[in-house]
Amino acid sequence: MFLTRSEYDRGVNTFSPEGRLFQVEYAIEAIKLGSTTVGVRTPEGVVLGVEKRVQSPLLESASIEKIMEIDTHLGCAMSGLTADARTMIDHARVTAQNHSFTYNEQIKVESATQAVCDLALRFGESVHEEEAMMSRPFGVALLIAGIDELGPQLFHTDPSGTFMRYEAKAIGSGSEAAQSELQDKWHKQMTLREAEILTLRVLKQVMEEKLDHHNVQLAQVTPGKGFEILDEVKLKELVDDM
Amino acid sequence: MNPMNTASHPQQRQFNPYTENGGTILAIAGLDFSVIAGDTRQSEGYNIQTRYAPKVFRLTDRAVLAVNGFAADGNMFVKKVKQRLEWYRHAHAKDMPLHAIARLIQTMLYARRFFPYYVYNILGGIEDDGSGAVYSFDPVGSYERETCRAAGAAQSLVQPFLDNQIYFKNQQPALGTSHPAHLPLPQVLRLVIDSFTGATERHIEVGDGLEMFVVLAKGHDLAGLEGIAGLQEMSTKSDGERIFVIRRELKKD
Amino acid sequence: MEYNGGSVIAMVGKGCVAIGSDLRLGNQALTVATNFEKVFPVTDRIYIGMSGLATDVATLREQFRFRVNMYTIKEEREIEPESFAHLVSSTLYERRFGPYFIEPVMAGLWKTQAGEYKPYIAAADLIGCLNFAKDFVVAGTASEKLFGVAEGLWEPDLEPEDLFETISQTLLNGVDRDAYSGWGAVIHVILPDKVITRTLKGRMD
Repeated sequence: MFLTRSEYDRGVNTFSPEGRLFQVEYAIEAIKLGSTTVGVRTPEGVVLGVEKRVQSPLLESASIEKIMEIDTHLGCAMSGLTADARTMIDHARVTAQNHSFTYNEQIKVESATQAVCDLALRFGESVHEEEAMMSRPFGVALLIAGIDELGPQLFHTDPSGTFMRYEAKAIGSGSEAAQSELQDKWHKQMTLREAEILTLRVLKQVMEEKLDHHNVQLAQVTPGKGFEILDEVKLKELVDDM
Repeated sequence: MNPMNTASHPQQRQFNPYTENGGTILAIAGLDFSVIAGDTRQSEGYNIQTRYAPKVFRLTDRAVLAVNGFAADGNMFVKKVKQRLEWYRHAHAKDMPLHAIARLIQTMLYARRFFPYYVYNILGGIEDDGSGAVYSFDPVGSYERETCRAAGAAQSLVQPFLDNQIYFKNQQPALGTSHPAHLPLPQVLRLVIDSFTGATERHIEVGDGLEMFVVLAKGHDLAGLEGIAGLQEMSTKSDGERIFVIRRELKKD
Repeated sequence: MEYNGGSVIAMVGKGCVAIGSDLRLGNQALTVATNFEKVFPVTDRIYIGMSGLATDVATLREQFRFRVNMYTIKEEREIEPESFAHLVSSTLYERRFGPYFIEPVMAGLWKTQAGEYKPYIAAADLIGCLNFAKDFVVAGTASEKLFGVAEGLWEPDLEPEDLFETISQTLLNGVDRDAYSGWGAVIHVILPDKVITRTLKGRMD
């Protein structure tokens, strides 16, 4: 007795006959509704950029938080259900702190990313009297930027718990256009400043509103200063130079 | 005395989970090498249990751990550290750096704050920057990076000797000169051997055999090692840090 | 031993001997004086050092002075180191069941038939069990440390200046690892014709 196609997307732990997990695929779709987020890696560091959709003139744009610090050498930008990202970033922060507590060294970018992805698959029904699990997959994708002994790195994670390393990556609603633009413009020996400008240009192309220093946010991870969110003064200067 | 009567007296029994198994360990850091040594006698009271029980263990290609105190705890602790190193290798795709092992040992020891491993640890090896390093621990995880450290039964015999010969304590350098911060390998090996022969002479729990592990930084030539009696290489690669062990006899009386 | 603290040591050299002590006098952990010498001359060529209970050190110094004087008068000659060692031993054993709490260390030179001087050192426990050593003897709260350092530094046939350096380094580095001993040291190097006495500053803590 077969369930109808539409019934396979009920359970998060049921494969369809074609071998698909619909809930996970839908979660990935949810990201495409999110605002565009861009990450660019250079030999000098990694740049993260997000579009902040200011839906109402009464909204305080400074309260939109889509780039967050994981550790001094690790940053993260998100797209999708940003509330879900809190759980993931919380987990990443705890993992990073635990690592430096236990080993007196900063966690590798890949290890932190792996830790987040381990969490991403803990949905479904708890079998035995295990600790309460999550009922659904995360609806958010992350760009995790950081620097470790292997140099500057950029990772992309999605709700399936898969992660991959990128030189430059765009996620969210404008990701297709943004990604092809990145593919055209990214080159190996890019400076950090070139990456900042590229990030802004890519965001500008895919944004509906006119880009200014209020509706985008930029962050970078560099060997010298680690993770930092660029302030409005620096942002304005870059926007003007664009 | 009526044997039936014994039951009427209150009696106290106590299980003592710890024993002291004697022996001594010692480590000295050079500029780009490290020597970690220990004797091989294991005793309980005046009874020698074995003349060959290693107390010094290779952890990675650049880290060696010496454990002294209660041998059962020591062996179990080394086993657990090795297990954690393997897990780390799988999780992070690299060998754990020396300073990270040092911190790990602290957290492992402190985790047992209220039922400690009755063990003094000395960790020696090469840091990421290529420098020789020695870390010493107390049984509950206090630790410190040092140039040299002795621990165990003959600590009080060996440590003041090392203060004098390694740190040049109570010695003034000739005018216009200064004491070296690190000694060359052949001299360090001589001091280790002298320390253990001295301790063997005056301490009943020290003797039988001596194992000296030598960790050389990447690119360090074998100066002072080639042709040494009882030398055996322990490293898994020849292009990175290298580990050797030198085994010597000590007096058995 | 730990009530007043303190350590003594003696070493054999080539045609000479050296003996020394730290200068601390304590009342358990409290340091009371830093000029308390524990080594005393017996004859021109014999010195005795005593570590342990300070009051017994003072008592026995006088006791030994008295007995050595009586010996000199009766025998009409200076006492030899070996005879003195046995004098010390029997004095201590007299109090076998209520002993003086000291451990003596002796150093001296004795004259052979041929007229040359040979080194002699000895130590005893608190009831006078003698220990004649060919190299060095130690006593006091830092004895373990002194054994360790001496075992590493001492070598046979040291000339007077080298012997002085060896015993000084041994004592200083030994007492530096002992909380009950320290605050400088005094060393006597006994030669056939003279005694060289030097007071050393250590780490004064």
